[in-house]
Amino acid sequence: MIGSEESVSLLMSNEAIARGAMEAGVGVVIGYPGTPSSEVISTLMPVAKELSIRVEWAVNEKVAFDIALGAALAGTRCLVTMKSAGLNVASDSIMSAAYGDVNGGLVVYVADDPGAHAGMEEQDSRLFIKIAMLPMIDTSDPQDAKDAIVAAFDYSEEFKTPIFVRSTSRVAHMRGGVKFGPIQKTRKPSEFKRDIRRFTRASPIWCMEQHTLLNAKIEKLRPIFERSKFNELHVPDKNSRIGVIASGASWNYLKEFIARHNVKGLVTLRIGTVNPLPERKIRDLIGKVDEILVLEELEPYIELYVKTIIAEEDKRILLHGKKEGDLPKVGEYSYDLVESALSKVLGIESAEGTPELDEATKSAMKLAPRRPLPFCPGCPHRATYTAIRQALRESGFGEDEVIITGDIGCTILGMHPPFNMCWTEVSMGASIGLACGFKYAGIEKPVIATIGDSTFFHAGIPPTINTAWKKTDIILAVLDNRITAMTGHQPSPSSWFTETGEKEEPIRIENIIEAAGIKNVRVVDPYDLQQAKFAFLEALKAKGPSAIVLRRVCSLVARRMNMINNPSFVDPEKCTGCLHCIETLSCPAMDINADGKMTIDSATCTGCGVCAQICPFAAIITGGPRND
Amino acid sequence: MIEEYNVLIASVGGQGGITLARILSNAALSQGLNVRVGETLGMAQRGGSVQSHVRFGEDVHGPLIPERGSDVLLSLEPAEALRVAKYIGKKTTVIMNTHPVLPTSVLLNETTYPEIDQILSILRKIGGSVHPLNAFELAKKAGFSRSMNIVMLGAYIAVGEKILTLDAIKEAMAASLPSRYLEQNMRALEIGIDKMR
Repeated sequence: MIGSEESVSLLMSNEAIARGAMEAGVGVVIGYPGTPSSEVISTLMPVAKELSIRVEWAVNEKVAFDIALGAALAGTRCLVTMKSAGLNVASDSIMSAAYGDVNGGLVVYVADDPGAHAGMEEQDSRLFIKIAMLPMIDTSDPQDAKDAIVAAFDYSEEFKTPIFVRSTSRVAHMRGGVKFGPIQKTRKPSEFKRDIRRFTRASPIWCMEQHTLLNAKIEKLRPIFERSKFNELHVPDKNSRIGVIASGASWNYLKEFIARHNVKGLVTLRIGTVNPLPERKIRDLIGKVDEILVLEELEPYIELYVKTIIAEEDKRILLHGKKEGDLPKVGEYSYDLVESALSKVLGIESAEGTPELDEATKSAMKLAPRRPLPFCPGCPHRATYTAIRQALRESGFGEDEVIITGDIGCTILGMHPPFNMCWTEVSMGASIGLACGFKYAGIEKPVIATIGDSTFFHAGIPPTINTAWKKTDIILAVLDNRITAMTGHQPSPSSWFTETGEKEEPIRIENIIEAAGIKNVRVVDPYDLQQAKFAFLEALKAKGPSAIVLRRVCSLVARRMNMINNPSFVDPEKCTGCLHCIETLSCPAMDINADGKMTIDSATCTGCGVCAQICPFAAIITGGPRND
Repeated sequence: MIEEYNVLIASVGGQGGITLARILSNAALSQGLNVRVGETLGMAQRGGSVQSHVRFGEDVHGPLIPERGSDVLLSLEPAEALRVAKYIGKKTTVIMNTHPVLPTSVLLNETTYPEIDQILSILRKIGGSVHPLNAFELAKKAGFSRSMNIVMLGAYIAVGEKILTLDAIKEAMAASLPSRYLEQNMRALEIGIDKMR
């Protein structure tokens, strides 16, 4: 990543953002993992020491933002990274920080997810940031993302305000050529001058004064943003009186359409500064055309603004976008969607394709069997849900009797077959509060909340305290795989190593739960099904809150660190081909041979031994620890 | 200069589809071409479907190949070729590994896995030329079944475009693959080239 100046490298936008931060002389980079934003921090980790950048994961996005704000108040350039849902967590501080100043540039990178690739809601953070009234630049490709970060630091410092840079999954994970600029190594000296009137909110007079100052900042920034390279108005000599406004990923599709169809005469406006929007350029465009198509994913954010300006200008313009239902508010755009919208406006016949071929394509796609996400081979969560299922059965509960609230991360995969055991999923840490709510509503049967270690540290501690405080009779199961697994194995406070691989004393979840006031806490190894089942049986009988910490390192990490066992194998003499193992565990290492008996792929099996414990015919033999 | 060339790599997490995308895109970049790569990354490690769109040429902007727009479909798994059928058109050269990765639902007879011959005949109907090979067996026979993806890369070199040079691809391999497996992978590449030449 420390490549020579002027060289071109193939980077993912998230990597380009990391490079941009290096070129901007960033001093602190901090965030919480969240697809599709996580690669910024993981890219910077290996170069952090050499460039004297403090690069870290925080327990959650609010903590990350607060730390960055403090450092920025003292003059350090800071970058905070998060996914859209993380913005909600950090927003309490962001709304307030907007009223103050920053002395070092403070840039917040937020990655939205139209198309829900990461399995959370399709939040449009452009609308969100309007509430904070803070500036935001939206990006279209890797080079653009790098440029946006570098510029955002300068704007942030000049106007003394936090600035947002946004991307979407398609942009964040797109690779393209990026030209490197010089890396800034000098830092401003740290200092923070006492100015209580500027940096506290509790006085109404001061607070409203700060609100006025924020508005004034944005007005000063407006013309600068307007003229920035992130907004491009292209007016051809022979203009077809049709204008297209595009933002984010859509800008790529528009450029590609123009190249593929050799379109001439379109007036195009690419909008990068989504707050404040480039009002003059929009007015210019409106003056030159009779018809406008707006291309933006998710909400009609730009479209509504354009509509307002058309009304102000008192112009008769045909406006195409989402309001007429031409383009969807749900899901991400694609080249083909944009092509069909543009073809309609321009009256171009879309080529290719016959109904017969379309039909053949559709039925071909239907033939591909689904690949629902299973737990990985050796995943300790598979063992945990198996133990819960066994305990519920032995306690006489049917499949549909005990509510299990799930949480964010790999632990939620218990929602898939063959488990079907996570009944709800809301937000980080919500499983615990929800479980309490079911009890408040009068659900008499036990309620179990399952949550992972990183999620517990992120937002699970306050609801745990609340549970203990109100003595609510729930079972809290913390599935502690000692890492933030789903997002790509970032360390959590439960890990025994730091981001840079140094040894570290982990923070024990059971100590936190006990300190919170839940006295009935057990720690078990989920690979030991008997022990884990017993813990749940006891908890199901107990009155009042109880907690079980199921501790076993993520099997992918175990494999990488050479901590797995020899693979298990099947005794074909004993295997009856009942397939109980596959039906109950659905482990990807399992296959069926020509005789209809179960076989284990030795290359993928981690020797967790869970299948051996559930086989009714003792046909599975564990491989035992490895000696190498 | 070439306007656009689109290679779609369809695979199952763990098969090495993303590595192939990295090799092809770096080879293209080293030849001075514009490159765009779009990937479905989220669940790549976890046995899910993975698609990598590698695009190079003068006029590539978007991260994904337009529908029916693949010049080559490199499918590391048979059913995955069907899943990406909308990107296959009459100009598409399909190179397919015939060794399936069965999801559990198929093992339990909850869903069915189409016959390889059926898959091939569908691909011949909606696509251009279709080149099947059992890259898994070829790699396994040579003693390195994990290099199946590189055998497929060899097949690509034999029947795919002639824009990227063999040298550029080999250099990109050296940059993208662990050095201790490089020699083995170079052999896997030759196996793929020889098989399809």
